[in-house]
Amino acid sequence: MPPDDEGAEVDDLERARCPTGIEGLDNILNGGIPRGNTILFTGSCGTGKTTLSLEFLVHGALAGENCLFVSVTEASEKLMRNVIPYDFFDENLIKKGKLVFVDMPVIYRRLGMTAMELTLEDVETLVKALGDLVDELSIKRLVIDSVTSVCYRLKTEEKIRNFILKVGKTLSDRGCTSLLISEISPSAERYSLYGVEEAIADGIVLMGNLERRGDLLRTLQVVKMRGTNHSRAKYVLDLTPAGILLVPLLKGGSGGGT
Amino acid sequence: MADSASFGIPALDKAIMDGVPKGYTILCIGTPGAGVELFAKRFASAGAENETVRYFSTSERDEDVLDTMKDFGWSTDLKIVNIGTMYYEKVLARHLDVSKYRLEGLTMRDLRQFEAEEYPEDEYVANFLTTLTYEVSKLTPPFRIVLDSLNFFLEYYPYNEVLSALRTVKAHTQHNEGVALVTLVKGVLDSRTESGIEEIVDVIIELERLRDGFEFKRNLLIRKVRNHPEKTGILAYTIDEKGISAKGV
Repeated sequence: MPPDDEGAEVDDLERARCPTGIEGLDNILNGGIPRGNTILFTGSCGTGKTTLSLEFLVHGALAGENCLFVSVTEASEKLMRNVIPYDFFDENLIKKGKLVFVDMPVIYRRLGMTAMELTLEDVETLVKALGDLVDELSIKRLVIDSVTSVCYRLKTEEKIRNFILKVGKTLSDRGCTSLLISEISPSAERYSLYGVEEAIADGIVLMGNLERRGDLLRTLQVVKMRGTNHSRAKYVLDLTPAGILLVPLLKGGSGGGT
Repeated sequence: MADSASFGIPALDKAIMDGVPKGYTILCIGTPGAGVELFAKRFASAGAENETVRYFSTSERDEDVLDTMKDFGWSTDLKIVNIGTMYYEKVLARHLDVSKYRLEGLTMRDLRQFEAEEYPEDEYVANFLTTLTYEVSKLTPPFRIVLDSLNFFLEYYPYNEVLSALRTVKAHTQHNEGVALVTLVKGVLDSRTESGIEEIVDVIIELERLRDGFEFKRNLLIRKVRNHPEKTGILAYTIDEKGISAKGV
């Protein structure tokens, strides 16, 4: 396994991990995401980003951590229905407040952010609001799905950079490990729509589709992860009722074996 | 049904055509303190006995409008549509809410409570011009419309949209032989805006208050009467405990 970042400090290698609960991914990351990291999960539609992030939260909640899913584009009630069929899901996690869903549009409206383009002051307010919720609920894992939709309302590179930097710092300072879901087109040659997000995030996990022998496979590749050694190989991702399964992509083989 | 509607000020009625002809829209314009709001209330009350009266208020509470009318002994048999109150409830009160959450921070309870209230998105951009024209469209003759004042709408909506709404009010009034009066504070808007409004209305009455030594001298200028330029002129008016009265000068 080649190291991702040759400049990684030895101390970082020993940082506490936040196990994703997805066995294959934790193996790739040598135990999980370094705690407090802000990771960009990026890919085109249908690649399993939301499912993976939900599973990350459910495993965290099952392990006793408080988890928050901030839904920007889809009503959280609908998302909750998606997570219920999983074998490992326990509805009590939501009832007991271990797994909390919040709709970003409600936050926007509550804070009076009704204009299509948010201001720099709005960015500060929005990040502060997220920080307040993390403090109030003692959140240890957070997902924003998707950060691209937030960036769409920020418009300028300056505001996007400001938002990603501040949200990353705010969450990291609170020991919260965060996944920012990023949407890109299948043909995109970078990892985020605006290019700014990928430069600032502590890690990038690229999810994609791969056509092989008439089958469309979902793939996952850890491109960058500060604070740990990791494999950069491409894996095949299978969505099963038992959760996500990852197996190495066999070059020239079917790649679909589970 | 009479062919004209009384202003409630006999000398003014006489000076025009025994009142304002049915179907006409009047603009009452004046500087602050000239009595434009009181003129609007007098006009509304004058129609209360025989007409359906809708009084659109943008800056006074219902009780303030009614109390003023009662103080002068005028009829209050009319319906007030309080755009000012609606604006406060739907826009300003929420702005106050928002400033609180922006400064004090958000809690989960705030968010859950807000979700439960289920505010429709469009309430944030409630268009009170639409409220005005909708309320007007429901009126059947005989009716009398009073809108105090146009300045509110010009402050919050584009000029062309306000003019379009004014044309709608005028058209409904004209086709149904009602009467309408709109008020405007003079000197706040640019001349182009004022001229656009003056072009639409059929009658323009300007209330003028001038300082004369240690007292005010009040003039009522009949600046426009559509198709009757001979009716334009100047009256002197006074405001006392009995209300507004006018006489020729």
